[in-house]
Amino acid sequence: MKTATANKKVRSRRSLSRNDRFTLAAFIGIPTLMQIIFLWLPALITIALSFTYWNGINVSDIKWAGLANYKNIFFGTPVFYEALKNNLIWLLWFTFIATPLGILLAYQIDRKIKGHKIFETVFYIPVVLSLAIIGIIWNFMLQPGGFVQGIMGRDIGNAVSIWGNYSINTYVIMGVASWRHIGYIMLLYLAGLKSVDPSLREAAAIDGATEWQTFRKIVLPAMRPVNIIIVVITIIESLRAFDLVYIIYGTSTAWPLLNILVFQNFAGQGISMKGAAYAVILLVLCIGPILLYLRNVFKEDLK
Amino acid sequence: MMSEENNGISRRSVLKGAAVGGLGIAAGGSLLAGCGTKKVTGDVHFTIRGNLSDAGAKIAIAANDAYTKKTGNKVISQAVNSDDFQNNFVQIMQGTPDDAFGWMAGWRTNARADAGLLADVSDQIKALGSALSPAAIQGATNPKDGKQYIIPTTYYPWGLHYRKSTMKELGLDPESIATWDDLIKLCEATQKKGLVGYALGDKGGWEAMGTFDIINMRLNGYQFHIDLLNGKEKWTDAKVVDVFTHMGQLIPYMNKNVLDISWDGMRDLLLQKKCGAMMMGSWFANDFKAKSQEDYDDLWIVPFPEINPEHGVDSIDAPLDGISVAANGKNVEGGKDLAGFLGSKEGIDAAVAAGDTNIYISSEFDTTSYDAFNKQKLAVLGAAKNIGFFLDRDTRGDFAGPVVGPAIQSFLKNPKDLNKILENTQKQWDALPAL
Amino acid sequence: MSSTIVQDKKYRNKQKVKDNLISLFIGFFAIVWIFPILWTVWTSLRPYNDIISYGVFSWPRHLNLDNYFHAFRVMGLTHYFLNTLYVTVPAVILTLFLGSLIAFVVSRYSFRFNLSLLLLFTAGNMLPIVLTYIPVFWLYIKIGDLFGNRSLLYNNYLGITLVHVAFQVGFATFVLSSYMKTVPKEISESAIIDGASVFRHYWNVMLPLLRPPLAALGVLMSCWIYNDFFWALILMSEDSKRPVTSALRQLQGQYITDFNLLAAGASIVAAPTIILFFVLRKQFVSGLTLGSTKG
Repeated sequence: MKTATANKKVRSRRSLSRNDRFTLAAFIGIPTLMQIIFLWLPALITIALSFTYWNGINVSDIKWAGLANYKNIFFGTPVFYEALKNNLIWLLWFTFIATPLGILLAYQIDRKIKGHKIFETVFYIPVVLSLAIIGIIWNFMLQPGGFVQGIMGRDIGNAVSIWGNYSINTYVIMGVASWRHIGYIMLLYLAGLKSVDPSLREAAAIDGATEWQTFRKIVLPAMRPVNIIIVVITIIESLRAFDLVYIIYGTSTAWPLLNILVFQNFAGQGISMKGAAYAVILLVLCIGPILLYLRNVFKEDLK
Repeated sequence: MMSEENNGISRRSVLKGAAVGGLGIAAGGSLLAGCGTKKVTGDVHFTIRGNLSDAGAKIAIAANDAYTKKTGNKVISQAVNSDDFQNNFVQIMQGTPDDAFGWMAGWRTNARADAGLLADVSDQIKALGSALSPAAIQGATNPKDGKQYIIPTTYYPWGLHYRKSTMKELGLDPESIATWDDLIKLCEATQKKGLVGYALGDKGGWEAMGTFDIINMRLNGYQFHIDLLNGKEKWTDAKVVDVFTHMGQLIPYMNKNVLDISWDGMRDLLLQKKCGAMMMGSWFANDFKAKSQEDYDDLWIVPFPEINPEHGVDSIDAPLDGISVAANGKNVEGGKDLAGFLGSKEGIDAAVAAGDTNIYISSEFDTTSYDAFNKQKLAVLGAAKNIGFFLDRDTRGDFAGPVVGPAIQSFLKNPKDLNKILENTQKQWDALPAL
Repeated sequence: MSSTIVQDKKYRNKQKVKDNLISLFIGFFAIVWIFPILWTVWTSLRPYNDIISYGVFSWPRHLNLDNYFHAFRVMGLTHYFLNTLYVTVPAVILTLFLGSLIAFVVSRYSFRFNLSLLLLFTAGNMLPIVLTYIPVFWLYIKIGDLFGNRSLLYNNYLGITLVHVAFQVGFATFVLSSYMKTVPKEISESAIIDGASVFRHYWNVMLPLLRPPLAALGVLMSCWIYNDFFWALILMSEDSKRPVTSALRQLQGQYITDFNLLAAGASIVAAPTIILFFVLRKQFVSGLTLGSTKG
C-alpha cells in the first residue's frame, strides 16, 4: 500500500504533462512579462538615460554624458541640497514624531480604552482619501478666507502667509502629511498587535508592571517583525513624498523635494536627463530600506 | 559649449512698428488671398490653455465658433490647465495632440519646431499678406530655418499697472515717475498709506522675471540683456549684481507673502485695491473687464521708469502669443486652416466682439476704436525701441524654469546670498549640454 | 493574600483614571483630526450666497444639498466616475488574477527561481514611481505605433489600467503567497493524485480557498487605484477621459472661487472610499495584516 502511494506521489511529481508545463509557463510568464515591460524596463531605461544628454524628443539626439549629470547635481545645483534637506526633515519628523504617535495610538486602542472603536475609524479616514482630495480639504482650511485664517481674524486681504512663509511652511506641510501617516501606521501596528499573545501581557500585569513598562519591555520586542516593516514604510514614504507638495506648489520647487526635482527636470518645459539622474539618486536611497524589508519578510525562505 | 543661438535681436527692435504704424483699417483686405488653396474639411480639435471659466476661454470659443460658421468645420475645444499643458507639452505633442492650440512665440515655439513637433504654417502667414508687418513675421520666424511655426495674434506690454482711483485717493501721480528714485518714493508713499507699494507674487517661479528683465534692460541695455540670456555675458558680472541690488531695494515695499501667491494673487491684490504698483503683463485685463467695466476703466499702465539715462526707456518685454499647429495632430491641415483664420481679420473681430481686450499684432486690427487703456498700452509699446519676449521665452527652457526661477526665489528669500546664487546660476549655465 | 487584592484594586483604579484621561486626550485629538473633513462637508451644505452675504463663520441661514446636485450637473462628475470605473475595475481584477497566478506557482510548485520571482515582484511594488513614468510614456507611444494606433495605450483607459496592474501586482503576489502557505499541502496533493491538471488545480482547488485574501486585497486595491491621480495626468491628454481624482485638478482651477461647490465636489469624490472603509472595514484590516506580517 505504502509503496503504491509513494510511487504515485513520485510519478505525479515527475510527470508534468505538456499541457501542465504550458500552463505553468503561462502562469509565470504573463505576469512576469507585464512586470518587466511596464516596470523594470522603464526603470532600466531611466537609469541608462541618466548617463546621457537628451531633450526627450528624438531618439537620434541622445548623446553620451557619462557622469556629467551627476556631477552637475552634486556640485552645481544648490536646490538639490535643499530638497535633500526637506526629504531629511520629512524622514526625521515621521520617524520621531508621526510614527511613534501612530504606534502609541495603536497600543492604546488595542487596550480597548473608552471610545476605541470611534478612534480607530476617525484616525484612519484620512488614509483612505486621495491626496488630491486632501489637498483640496487643507486648502479650504488654510487659504485666505478659510477656517484657520478666519480664526486668526484675517480676511482675504491680509491673510497670514503660510505656503510662502519659510519659517512655518515646513511644519504645516509636515502636519498635513502626518494627518495621513499617523492613521496608516496606527492601523498597521494595530493589526500586528492582535498577534501578540495576550497571556504575556496578563502575566506582566500580575507582576505589577505599569502599562508603559509592559509596552516597552514585552510588546515592543514581541513586535519586532512589524517594527521593521514600520521603519521601512516610514523611510520609503519620506523618500517618495511628492503628491501633496505637487498639489500645493506645482513644479516650482518653492519647497523642493527629490521627487519634485525629478518631475521638474524630466518632464516640464526644459527636459533634461538631470531628471533621470535625480530619479536614480532616489532609487539608490530607497535600495537600503527595500533590501531591509525583503530580508525581514522573507527571512525564513532566505535561510 | 552653447550653440550660437541668437534669437534675432535686431529684427525685433522694429516689432513695435506694427503697433504704432499699423493704425487704421488695412486697405484692400489681403486675407482671402488663399483663393487658390483647396478647401479644408473635417473636425478640428483645439486646446485652450486655461480654465473654461476664464474670460480668455470664452473668447477663444467664440472665435472658434466664427470659424465653424464660415467653413462649416466643427471645432472641438477642450480646456487644459495651463501649467499642466506646458509641463507635459513634449509628451502631449508626441502623443495624440489636438490639432491647434494657443501658444507662445520664442524659444518655446522654435525649439519645439526644430524637434519636429510643430507644423509649418508659413503658407498661412503668406496668406495673411500685408496684415502682418515684417517685424511681426520675424517675431514668429524660427531663426534656424526661416519658416514660421506660429501664427502671431496678440501681444501685450509688461509695465507698471495701477488703479487710477487708488492713486487719486492717495494723492499720487504715477505718470510722473521718471526715475528710479521716483518709483521708490511712490512705493514709500503708497506703503505709508497702508497699501502694498510694489505687489509681487513669485510662487510660480516666473513672475518675478518680469521685474528682473526690465531692471536689466533699463540699467544695462537691451543688448546686454539678450546676450546674458544667450550665454554671451556672465551672471557673475557686476552689471547683474547691480540689477539684483536694485530689486533688493524694492523688497521692503513688496507684500510679505511674495512666495505664497502666484500671478493671480498679484492680480487680486490690484483688483481688491490693496496695492499701488504691480509689474505685470497686461493680459490679465480681461479678468478686470469680466468683473466690471468700472474696474476695467480704472486700470492704467505706465512704462517702468528710467534708471540709466544711457538707455532711457528704450526697451520693454512684450511677449507675442499666437496659435500653433501640432505636427502629429489628426487633422493637420484643419489645424493650419483654423490657425490662419484666428490670425485673420474675421477671427480677430470675433474675439473682440466676445470681449477680448488684448492688442492684436495684425494691422487688420482696428485700433481707432481702441479704449483708453489699450491706447495707453500702445503708447507704452511705442515708446520702446527694443522688444524682448520675456526671460522664459528668450532663453533655453531647461535654464529658465529649473535654474533662473529658483535663483530669483532664493534671492527673494535671502538677499544676502546673492553672490552665491549668481555663481551657481553661472555654473548651471556652463553645465548645460549643447542643444 | 488580602493585601495583594487591595493593591491590585488600587492599582487598577489608578489605571482606570489614567485610562480615562488618555481617552479624553485622544478624544480631543480625534475631534481635531476629523475637523477638516467636517468643515469641508459643512461648507458644502451652505449655499454660496449665504457665505458671500454673511461670511464664512456666520450661522447658517440655509442648509441644503443644492451644491451637490449642482456639482453633479456642472462638474460632469458622473462622466468622470465612469472613467474611474473603466480603469479601476479591470485593474483590480487583473491585478488579483495575475498575482494569484504567481503566488500559486511559487507556493505549490518548487522551482529554483521561486524565491527570486517573489523578491522581484515584492521589490517592484516599492520602486519610486518617478523612476518609470517618462519611459512608460515613450513605451506606450512606441507600442501604439507598432500596432498602428498611437492611442492604443496612451490617452487610453487600457494604458492607465496596465500601469496600475504593474505596480500593484507585487503586493498582491506577496499577500497571496503568504496566505497560501497557510493552506495545507494535502489539499493540493490529493488534487494532483486525482490527476488534476495544473489549471484545474488552480481554478477549482486553490482559487475558491483564496476568497478571504482576495476580498481583502480587492478592497485595498480598489481604494488605492481609485485614489491615484498622478498617472492619468501624465498619460492622458484629454481631460474628458480622466478618472475623477485627476479631474479634480482641472475642476479645482475652474471653480476655485466657488468653494462651496468645490467642497461638495470633493465630498462626493471622497465618499466612495470612505463608505467602502466603513462597510468593509474587516477586509481592510485583514488585507493590511496579511501584507504587513507573515501569518
